[in-house]
Amino acid sequence: MSRLDRTRTSPHQLRPFFSSQNLLNRSDGSAQFDFGGSSVLCSVTGPAEVKLRDEKLDKATLEVVVRPLVGLPGVKDKALERNIRETLEPLVLSGLHPRTLVQIVVQTMKDDGSIASTAFNAAIMALLDAGIPLSSILGSVTCTIDSQTNDILLDPTTEELAQAKSTHVFVFDNKASIHAEDKSSMDHDQASSTQESSSAAVLFSDSTGLFTEGEYLECAHVCFKAAQAVHGFIRTAVEKKLLKEYQQTSA
Amino acid sequence: MKELDSSTNEREFLLAALRDGARIDGRNFYDFRTLRLSFGEDYGAVEVQLGNTRVLAKVSCEVIRPYADKPTEGFLMFNTEMSPMASTVFEIGRPTDEEVLVSRLIEKAMRRSRALDTEGLCIVAGEKVWSIRVDIHFLDHDGNLIDAACIAAITALLHFRRPDVTVVGEEATIHTLEQRNPVPLSVHHIPICVSFAFFDNGERVIVDPTHLEEQIKEGDMTYTLNVHKEVCALSKAGGIAMELDQILQCSKIAVIKVAEITAQIQAALEADAKKR
Repeated sequence: MSRLDRTRTSPHQLRPFFSSQNLLNRSDGSAQFDFGGSSVLCSVTGPAEVKLRDEKLDKATLEVVVRPLVGLPGVKDKALERNIRETLEPLVLSGLHPRTLVQIVVQTMKDDGSIASTAFNAAIMALLDAGIPLSSILGSVTCTIDSQTNDILLDPTTEELAQAKSTHVFVFDNKASIHAEDKSSMDHDQASSTQESSSAAVLFSDSTGLFTEGEYLECAHVCFKAAQAVHGFIRTAVEKKLLKEYQQTSA
Repeated sequence: MKELDSSTNEREFLLAALRDGARIDGRNFYDFRTLRLSFGEDYGAVEVQLGNTRVLAKVSCEVIRPYADKPTEGFLMFNTEMSPMASTVFEIGRPTDEEVLVSRLIEKAMRRSRALDTEGLCIVAGEKVWSIRVDIHFLDHDGNLIDAACIAAITALLHFRRPDVTVVGEEATIHTLEQRNPVPLSVHHIPICVSFAFFDNGERVIVDPTHLEEQIKEGDMTYTLNVHKEVCALSKAGGIAMELDQILQCSKIAVIKVAEITAQIQAALEADAKKR
């Protein structure tokens, strides 16, 4: 079965990832993350001076600004700001930098669906680039249930989103995928799908549209598997970057 | 967040270098930094890199009802809101002086110089016109945002294609990009901004200042010209007083720079058109 964007053959296929870190000079960390035709640039400044009004005595304040590609920020962007902030807050070890500000700016560069997931992934890569202490890494994937075929389509394009019965955004942390990796390397048969799902730490889940409980769990399971690919990708990207930095400093 | 001033050492070094006829990034006084233009997959998306300064422009269009007193005029709007991504001095919802100045100058350079034929955006007089919107996103601020934004805006407008329309009587049909080839906007001329910074009471004049140079400068001026040597705007908002012949000297430099940049924009657009 071919997808609407005609480049993918399977409904569970993600578009090709692309990322680059440290693109901007004026911020402490930055990263671009692409899912095919969708691209998000994210910058991180921090730990920096915080406004007295926002100061927290025991931890750093996290501020997220989301900028749309076209027009002024609206309700959707404000909602995404809040979602990103509340998902990242437990990941950032903010107790290490009390009374400071960590500011994250998310800018959409190209929009072809799954922007929320792209933004989550870009944000975590920018935080890594800025050297903000984190407890774990997140990975995000979006899926839709098609209104005609009832298929679960991963990483939908704008066209596919328009035909969707329901849309689900999931964010998983990488503790679960490390766990699943260990398990599958130890014993392939034991790592059954139910165990995988039960060990999955869902950091964020946002669903719109009509769907059944079974469909939702199926989506969660499919997205969890796909998120492991995202985790793996982020890991490789960071490894490559560190290796390059190490080579530069030792040369 | 407040911005730190440059240190005395940095300032002294930069000024000493200028007096020796050199700039700290190795450029000559009248050199632009390397200009890179990259286009997105869809029409009207351009990313401009001028040295370390980075600007993204995105053009979009929609059909709206015109003003009753100007029934055949289309709309051209610019959004130049700056986010903290470019620099932490920019805060959401509180425009800095620099931001206001940049947005005013872009407006003057593009809209008031009539670079775009707004009459050509009319579909049905008094009923339907195109509204063209240019969103300019500042991603990285290393000085001379005006020139970078101006290049990004005009290149995006030249790159943009709007959906084709057929009008039968009062009925207008808008064709999707698949049905008919989209049409380019009619751009009358290509206004380009060239910014100057002055040091040592106007004795030293440089083109395309970096962020550090902008912090230390004593005055600035921006020429907006097109390739036909027509002045579209001239802005000197404060700073030190300048001799008239120095201003004329600047105009001669600007003419050369505008020709270079226009040629580069056109070459980039042609290269992109071939790829599609």
